[in-house]
This record gives sequence, structure tokens and C-alpha cells, in this order.
Amino acid sequence: MARRGGGAAPRSALCAPPSAWAQYRTLLAKDLRQEFRTKEMLVSMGIYALLVIVVFGVALSFANPGADFLEVSGGLLWALVVFTSLLGLNRSFSHETENGCLEGLLLAPLDRGVVFLAKATSNLVFLLIVEVIAVPLYWVFFSSFAAPAASAPLMAVPLLLGSVGIAGIGTLLSTITAATRGKDVMLALLFVPIVFPLLYACVSATTAAIAGGVLMEDAFATSLALAAGYDVIMLLASWVLYDFVVS
Amino acid sequence: MAREGRDVKLPEAGQWPDKAAPVALIVGAVLTTVGFLMAFLTVPPVGGAAVNGVELIGDAMVNQKMLLSQKIFYFHMPVAITSFVALAFGCYYSVRFLMTRARRFDTCARIALEIALLFVAMTMITGEMWTRFEWGVWWSWEPRLTTYLVLMLIVIAYFVLRGSVDEPERRATFSAVVAIIAFIDVPICFMITRLIPSSIHPVVLREGGMSPEMGLCVGLVALGMLCIAFALYRARFRQVRLTERVEALKEELGD
Amino acid sequence: MGAPAAAGGAPAPAAIACEGLTKAFGTRKAVDDLTFTLPRGAFLSVFGPNGAGKTTLLRMLATLARPSAGRASVDGIDLKEEPDRAREAIGLISHNSMLYPDLTAEENLLLYARLYGVRDPQRRVIELLDAVGLKHRRLDRVRTFSRGMTQRVSIARALVNDPSVVLLDEPYSGLDPHAIEIFDELIASVRADRTFVMVSHDLEKGFRLADHVLVMARGRAVAFGPKDQMDPAEFRSLYRDTVGLGVA
Repeated sequence: MARRGGGAAPRSALCAPPSAWAQYRTLLAKDLRQEFRTKEMLVSMGIYALLVIVVFGVALSFANPGADFLEVSGGLLWALVVFTSLLGLNRSFSHETENGCLEGLLLAPLDRGVVFLAKATSNLVFLLIVEVIAVPLYWVFFSSFAAPAASAPLMAVPLLLGSVGIAGIGTLLSTITAATRGKDVMLALLFVPIVFPLLYACVSATTAAIAGGVLMEDAFATSLALAAGYDVIMLLASWVLYDFVVS
Repeated sequence: MAREGRDVKLPEAGQWPDKAAPVALIVGAVLTTVGFLMAFLTVPPVGGAAVNGVELIGDAMVNQKMLLSQKIFYFHMPVAITSFVALAFGCYYSVRFLMTRARRFDTCARIALEIALLFVAMTMITGEMWTRFEWGVWWSWEPRLTTYLVLMLIVIAYFVLRGSVDEPERRATFSAVVAIIAFIDVPICFMITRLIPSSIHPVVLREGGMSPEMGLCVGLVALGMLCIAFALYRARFRQVRLTERVEALKEELGD
Repeated sequence: MGAPAAAGGAPAPAAIACEGLTKAFGTRKAVDDLTFTLPRGAFLSVFGPNGAGKTTLLRMLATLARPSAGRASVDGIDLKEEPDRAREAIGLISHNSMLYPDLTAEENLLLYARLYGVRDPQRRVIELLDAVGLKHRRLDRVRTFSRGMTQRVSIARALVNDPSVVLLDEPYSGLDPHAIEIFDELIASVRADRTFVMVSHDLEKGFRLADHVLVMARGRAVAFGPKDQMDPAEFRSLYRDTVGLGVA
């Protein structure tokens, strides 16, 4: 069958080294296709987000509704995002380790950074999809507490920046923890302290957007700049270190 | 069995730094004691920090207690510096490990992080005492305390990670990556918690409030702590390396 | 099939050449100073007790693990210097299928074909699925396949880049006798002038398929050579000894 022209067939006749961009697209398409077919991760993340909202509902059921709520709501929203993304990150790598697929990918002439970027992108996409559903839901459930300031829609910016950072460092950490015992707990243990600074900046920016006023002027831009700085540094570090983690 | 050309490299310990370790320990103890005495006897009690403290809390606080609590600072800060230096060494050895894949550097990094954990714990305890006396609360989300809490959690996670990977080389690689990420993360954490104005807890900044005497005292204690950390590091390194050596010898004999 | 023992007298580089290949961490050596050359078209069986370093050797040849000392080359391409070029010449079939269970057989193969940059991936994939006799199931998810069928897709996956060296890591584990038969037929049909390296616990099968034999114990090569220069009875006793050594 396959081997045309005997042993003389030059390798280039069958294969042409693909560009990193093409490989990135192939890997990303694989992740998206797999997820949209089974919807395993999206459904479980979505339901989990809803459950967290229910728990918040119980936790706040004896609180006085009022403007004070605006100062906590940003933080609660991020608690929701962190817990949901932890669930998703744990899931995302179990596909790769299930049949040793990661090894299959590493056998190909493929830069390890491309594997990282593709995985981080697909994690980001799933996280954003869940956020698009969960965040409005959150506001529906807690709209009776207090009306957010006019600048509230601006919280999309910290949400995006935060998700980028979470997907980036989360991909590196979930690759590490996928090969450990007790991986779920291990991921949380590493993820929460390492992502702490980003979380702090994002909560600050989100709260500023929701509460508006003086806080908005003071903290919003600074927080966003710092969150962006964290994203850039951590993405670069993860990208560089990924090669060591997978080989 | 023919063994030509097969150089058996056993883990070693006991090079010159081991001879320096006891000296470092003694010097460290002396410096720390001198710093301790200085802090209580010679350094003028009312420095910049104390003035700020009084301003912050008001004169409801007993003055004498204030002055004594301020002495914690002379240990808190050197311990904090030492723990960060230990973390920096841990990161350096981790980078070296990833470059060379030599087990020796993994051991070095691990021990550096053990020392870091010890000093971070001490930082947390002294910081805690300070918070309690100066602000009257057990915990405050003040930038430095927060940063050290995060640092402590990461270092603990580092050791939990080490415990949950069986294959030695993989364990070494993963923990090296985490140590490097931790070292990058901690300064960012400090910057972010400090630069973002917090609406709930006004951050007390005490900038440039150190008199020359205070600086000297802090410097002495810091130097002493660094010496002690070095001695501890070498002692632990020697112990671990000798254990590894015994293991290797056992394996050789079993061959 | 009549595999040639050596690929003529041309100065073509050996299919696999290892020189002082070592994988060590600390004082523990998984593979210790391994040196051998394998001619083109050979079928090498690697034997040895558990923990002898067989799988580590295979992983190094597959560029999944980096050697701590020494060098190895595939088709004359150094694994350390040009890993990506070497990867183009290597295929690996292991007991792990390396297939995504929720993608179809065709999608799985297309994914790998694209990663290798196969020029006409669609045609190549159909061709391969036809060869392993699963063309009619190409639109079914791999999850629905039996172990034997999965392993056949896995063979197609390993051949997607038309490798000149195929590495087999315990390919028989989990296969029933019928599936093993099909597997052997398939391997025979794709022999062509490819070089094979197999790690297997199945002594009989490994010895029958091979024309070269490598016996390892504690990371070192105990015996290496063409099979016809080795007396089966002598080999068997050697094998027993090394396995005994590993257990002790």
C-alpha cells in the first residue's frame, strides 16, 4: 500500500512541513469540535456556575439589600468565575491524557509552544462561553439587591483580561497536575495562590465598574493595566516553561 | 562485570561551604543577638514608624506597648528579606535544573524552598504579632501580609506537588517550573496589592521613616539571619546528599 | 515478506544508530551506555525484564524523552539536533491508542495528517483506513470501536506520515487472539522496507517476527545481534537468566 515508489520516495513527496499557524488551527479545531460534539465541559461548567449562584443566594439571603451589595458583587462574581474555571481546567486535560493523546501530538514535528497556545485558546473560548451565560444569570438573580452604576457594562474588560490570564496559567498548571496523584485538589492548590494577584486586580476593576463614582476614576484604569501586565508576564513564562513540562 | 569507562559519580557533600557553615552559624547568632540588644537598648524608641502608628490609632492605645511592639519590626523585616532571598535561590537552582537536568540542582532547589518556608512561617508569625499590637486585629489584608500569605501558600503547594508525583525526574521538572512561577508571581502580587487603592482598608505606607540607627540595626539582624539561613541550608544539604549517597552505594552493591 | 538483513552496500545511513545512549537521573540509570546500529529494513525485538529500560529506550527513540548522555539517530538524523526532522521519519504504535474517543476515525487521522503536513490529507486518510479495513466505519466515533479495531486505527495513525522507522511499544496488550492475528497481518503488509523496533513481553512472538534481537537488563545491553546468529535454545536460557536477574 502506502509506500509509493519504493524506498526512493523522498519524504517531501508526501509531507510538506506545515506552518506553526496551520498546526495551531488544527489543534484548536480539534478541541472545539470535540467539545461542541459532547458538550461535556460546557454543560458541567454551566450547571456548576448555576449551583454556585444558588449557594451565593443562600449566603446572602439574610443580608440587607442596598448599595453596599455593589461593593461585594464584583468579588462574588469572580469567586464564581474562579470556581467554574477550576472545574473546566481539570476537565480540559483529561481528554489529552485519556488515551495518551498528548504523546501522539508530541510525536509530530510540532513546536511545544503551539500545543500550549492552542490549549490555552480553547480553554479561553470555553471559559468565555460560560461567562457569557453565567454573568447575566448572576445579575438576574441578584438584580433585586441594588442597581449597578451606569458604567457596569465596562466590567466585560476585566472579565476578558482575567479569563486570558486564567486560561494561560491554568493551562500550564493543569498540564502539570494532570500527571499527579489527586489532580483536582492539586490544581486548586497551585492555581488559587498563583492567580491571586490577577484576581485581586480584576475584582478591583470589576467592583469599580459596578459601583462607579470615585472608585471608578481611581482604580479602574490602574487595575486593568496591572491585570494586563500579569497576563503578559505569566503567558510568556508559561509559554517558555511549557516545553519542559511536556517532555 | 566489566566496568571500564563507567564512571560512578556518587553524590557528594562536604566541600568548602560545609566548613564555612558552622562559622556562618556562629556569626549569624552573634549578629542577631547584637541586633536584638541594640533594638531594645540603643535604638531610639520613637522612629518614623512609631509616630505613624500613634497617628493611625490615636492616643487610646497605651504608649509603652506601642513602643515595645515596634521592636518586632527589627526581626520581621530581616526574616522577610531572608525568606525572599531563599526563594530567589530556589528559583535560580530550578532554572539551573531545567538547563542541566542534574539531580543535584533539584536537591538544592528543594532545600532552598524548605528554608524559604521556614522563614516565611517566621515572617507570618512576626507580622501577625505586629498587626495584632499595632492595629489591634489578628489579620489585615495589608499588601505585605497578603503577599506573604500567598507566598506561603505557593511554597506549601510546591511541597504537596512534590509529594504527589512518583517519577523522580518528572517530580523535579514540575517542581522547578512551579518554583520559577512562584518567584515571578510574588513580586507581581506585592505590586498589585500595593498599587491598587483599596477602598476598605486604608494602606498605611511607612516610607523613608528609618533613621540611621534603625537601618543599622535592621541591617545587622538581616545579615545575621542570612548567615543562619546559609548554615541551615548547608546542614540540610549535607544531610540530604549523604542520604542520597547511601542510596547510591546500596544500589551499586546490589548490582 | 523476506526482510532484507541489510539495505545493500550503499553508504546509506543506518536506520537506527545509538552511541553511548544513556538516560539517568541522579545515580539511577534507566538506560545505561547503549550502543548499537540497526540496518535499514530490520525488525528488532527488544527483550528484558520489567524495569530493564526497554520502554525508556523506545521513548528516547521516539523523541518523547531526552537522553542525558550519548546520541541516537534515526535515518542519519540526530535526534537531539534535529528533533523535528527526525519526528517526520518516526511512527509509534503503543498500547495507548492516542486517539480521541469523541472524534471519528477519519477526524482523528486527519488531525494527525495535518499536524505532519501531509499534502493531500483526505486522500491519504481514506487510503490508510482502506488498508486497515475500516473504511466503512470511518464516520463512527472511536469510542464505539472494539479494542482490536481501535488498534487498527492506531496503526493507520502511526503510518500517516509514512515513517521509515516504526516503534512498537507492547502493541499486543489488551488484544484478543483474533485481533492479534489481524494485527500481525497488517504489520506484515506494511513491512515494505520500513525498520521496526518492538518491545514486547511475548517472547515467542517477538522472537518469531524479529530478525534482530536486543536483550536488556538494568539498562544495559546484554546481547545484541541478528537472530540467525543466535541459537534459539541459547537465547531462551539467556532470556531466563536476565529475567531472573531483574526479579532479584
